[in-house]
Amino acid sequence: MILTDREIRLSIAKGLIIIDPAPDEKAFSSTAVDLTLDEHIAELREGEGGLEQAIDPGHKDFKPEKTLELVSKKLTIPAEGYLLKPDLLVLAWTKEYVNLVPHNRVAARVEGKSSLARFGLGIHVTAPTIHAGFDGHIRLEMVNHGKLPIRLRPNMRICQLIFEQTLGTPEKGYQGQFSGQTAS
Amino acid sequence: MRVKIEEMGIGQHPSEKVVQVETLEGPEQLIVDKRSIHDRSLDVGFPVGQQNGHFLVELPRETLRGLWRVWIDKQIVVE
Repeated sequence: MILTDREIRLSIAKGLIIIDPAPDEKAFSSTAVDLTLDEHIAELREGEGGLEQAIDPGHKDFKPEKTLELVSKKLTIPAEGYLLKPDLLVLAWTKEYVNLVPHNRVAARVEGKSSLARFGLGIHVTAPTIHAGFDGHIRLEMVNHGKLPIRLRPNMRICQLIFEQTLGTPEKGYQGQFSGQTAS
Repeated sequence: MRVKIEEMGIGQHPSEKVVQVETLEGPEQLIVDKRSIHDRSLDVGFPVGQQNGHFLVELPRETLRGLWRVWIDKQIVVE
């Protein structure tokens, strides 16, 4: 079941969903909340001519974050914006910190906005699930699938968060048979 | 329940840190929000399994190797 704007607001008021800074009234639609773009992004480098490069996730020494450090460049979006070229992948984050309290029966999906999608802007690469218990700024994998560059600006509405009620409480949020046990 | 972690470095976003958890199968690294870290520990909710004094816990984020649930020794449980 997808939460409506009323239910999202109630969950926020009860502290079961935390969004910081809090979304303004205009950020809500009937079944979603818009989130905005943070100024920090990481641009993945394009391949260099004459040099064969490949990522090998199955390698025993593969370290994803180390690899990302090597193949990406951290940037701060300037006031005039950042031009996302066609076919380029950048990692970006929502400006908002999001916390889905584990014992709350809510997970979420981050999805794009049609107003941007129609120009080819994708905001995730098959990884839209925000699990119950998540806390942090949501990382976006943004690709321009269009033919023209798209200018990204800090604080622009970049994605929407759709909250879904889970059937039951996840085990980690449930004080069940292992409760009360300590390390001693 | 909170488990001990070791801070390994910063993430790609200023809000993120790379942390390491000692599991029964070796160290696992994951990226978490700085707000999640208190006194070098991380909240993992209630354990989802127990066996021979070890806990199966679900980490707050997927590890860099793609795992969510790991077995830990109770010695790294701090709360």
